[in-house]
Amino acid sequence: MKRHTVTALAAGAAIAALALTGCSGNSADSSSGSKGAPTLAAGKKVTITFAEAMASGALKTELEKVTQEFESKNPNITVELQAQPDYGTLKTKIDAAVTAGTPPTIAQVYGDWAAAYAQSEVLEPLTDYAAADPSATDGLYKGIKNSLYIDKTLYMWPFNASALVTFYNPDLLKAAGVEAPKTWDDFATVAKAVSKDGVVALPIDPGSSSGPAGGTTIFELMAQANGTPVFKDDGTPQFDSPDVVKALQTLVDLKKAGAVQTGTNYPGETALGAQKGVFDISTSTSFYYDQQAVGGKFQLAVAPVPAAADGTRINQINGTNVTMFNKASDDQKAAAWKYMQFLTEAETQSEWAQATGYLPVNPKTLDLPDMKDYIAKNPYVTFASEDLANSSATPPYAWVEEASGDLAAALQSALAGNASPADALKDAQAKAAAAQKAAQ
Amino acid sequence: MRSSKWGTLRSPVAYLFVAPALLIFLVFSIGPTVYTFALSLFKWNKFNPALSKFIGLENYKTVFTGTGNPSFFDTLGVSFYYVAGMVIGGTALGLLLAVLLARGGRALASARTMVFLPHVTPVVATSLVWVWIFNPQFGLANLVVHATGHHNIDFLGDSRWAMPAVLIYSLWHELGFVTVVFLGGLTTISTELAEAAKLDGANRWQEFWFVTFPQLRPVVTLVLLIESVASLQAFTQFFVMTKGGPGYATSTLGFQLYQQAFVFSNTGYAAALAVVLFVITAALSILQLRLQGDRPAKAPRPSTFSRTTRTASTRSQSSSL
Repeated sequence: MKRHTVTALAAGAAIAALALTGCSGNSADSSSGSKGAPTLAAGKKVTITFAEAMASGALKTELEKVTQEFESKNPNITVELQAQPDYGTLKTKIDAAVTAGTPPTIAQVYGDWAAAYAQSEVLEPLTDYAAADPSATDGLYKGIKNSLYIDKTLYMWPFNASALVTFYNPDLLKAAGVEAPKTWDDFATVAKAVSKDGVVALPIDPGSSSGPAGGTTIFELMAQANGTPVFKDDGTPQFDSPDVVKALQTLVDLKKAGAVQTGTNYPGETALGAQKGVFDISTSTSFYYDQQAVGGKFQLAVAPVPAAADGTRINQINGTNVTMFNKASDDQKAAAWKYMQFLTEAETQSEWAQATGYLPVNPKTLDLPDMKDYIAKNPYVTFASEDLANSSATPPYAWVEEASGDLAAALQSALAGNASPADALKDAQAKAAAAQKAAQ
Repeated sequence: MRSSKWGTLRSPVAYLFVAPALLIFLVFSIGPTVYTFALSLFKWNKFNPALSKFIGLENYKTVFTGTGNPSFFDTLGVSFYYVAGMVIGGTALGLLLAVLLARGGRALASARTMVFLPHVTPVVATSLVWVWIFNPQFGLANLVVHATGHHNIDFLGDSRWAMPAVLIYSLWHELGFVTVVFLGGLTTISTELAEAAKLDGANRWQEFWFVTFPQLRPVVTLVLLIESVASLQAFTQFFVMTKGGPGYATSTLGFQLYQQAFVFSNTGYAAALAVVLFVITAALSILQLRLQGDRPAKAPRPSTFSRTTRTASTRSQSSSL
């Protein structure tokens, strides 16, 4: 009896403490209103932290290099890079740090992550910062610029952007007597023609309910090419629209024909390298990794992603932006803003793009002489940049992460033959709509 | 140890000795458990607790009406599928291996080591290896499938195969432990009874089923308890191999708890799931301990099968084997 009383008291105390925490103000941290951008006194030393996922290969070395260049130009500012091995780990680390009340000064984020942070009032609005130099924002591609706002407030700044391209094995196409497909309809025909003798045209990873992967992105492009994007601009899911169902039906038919295969861990790249896959539809940053996988066995070719039936190219802005947390001191905020701007300067973007395969977010970059030389050697950058200029990103709303997981799960179920495309998408739509309702 | 005014311990100084352990238990087990229960009553905003809202039993309503995404009952079904596979399959195969390996000899000692070896490997690393074994295009598993004249199976991408695939991996990883526990149990049972049964004409199966197995019952109960609790809490292999998919086919309670708490930030709902998982685990443990307590192993008295004291009654008992 006594033990029960103690347990009950402990539980009651915990609930009371939580209730008090829940009711207590947190005004110092929750300021989201505009109060003007802070400035950093000349010569004042400050250290900022940057949580990022550029932890391997050229990404790691290049980010370290441009950061050192920034520090050389701004000797009073030190940037501590907190590299995480992948985006999943990055999100876990940022979430844990924010929960513990010790977020990094700035971090790489996807739009839906940023929306959740903004909703929780832990982000620093950047509208006033950008107001000091409107040309910096106006100089960005339209789609990139739009992806930075959450409910008309600037919360993000661009960093590593990319668009999808089609990597393929031209020898296998030639052997089958076909050419690189121009539209998704062409793609279906070509994919079936080349899939024989253990070769699969397009191995994809749909991802899972925890998060979509490249296969779901391809599916999203197909749906949009049919006329309906999977999310409206306001984040409302429209998974069960006829155009989306038609896109999934196409993928299911291709799977039944042996032209699509599901897998994990970049299956397109692996199969392309083993000459058991023909296409890898992936972001431009995969160029380096696909070349590594191919290893000189054949000349890797790159084409735009297949277009809509009328020839309109549909693409999607991939990659992340940088956001700032409002726990930082004013000096840190001022220093971080300076660093964020440095990352998007034309010269920095040129260096970054050439080393990593990401695309410049600033069209001025393409006019720089060294960038022109780079494009001459890598012609795909031209059409990938054109696609980037005409694309938009996944709408930045907090529920989009869960809804995208539902979409990936629907893709898995339909491709495994466990549900028809219409039923799988209807179920995903209901779940996504519920997630949207719960988050609003 | 008798009770006194100091409780179960005889001296107040004794409490000082157990205090560090109690403190650690309080901080790392009891405290978080109570805190989790409290969280389950909120729509909790982990990034900014000031924005959290007390919603009473609303999260439990979502759990028990099955309106969560995915439904709690679907998740529970997936969990029990996995638990049943591990408990029944693990116990049966572990016992079989233990009986086969129980005899001495250098070769069997090596075999024991080989059977136990997977258990000491990290689950993350070996799960990744098995992801490649189950790869639909390049995996070893499909070589076997081809050899039997069948088409490729997408083990981890097909809802019908994903859970069996995870079970195969998990059994591979866990069997060594279960086998060693049974081997330990086999060393403690009386060999005289088995010899007596043989003399009475029992075949190997009868000897095992009527003589060996009854004496192993406490060990079986222990294995059942450990396996069911461990299976209910299994997470890593699901995280690495399937991420709960395809669809939600391998989305167990443990995985959902992680997904809701750390992927979708539905902290309050995840806490409610954790409380339910805690209750289920505790109930299963109590049930099994009760069963063990109510029906203690009734090993036949050694004299019953003793060669020197064999009687007509034991003959008739043996003949009924």
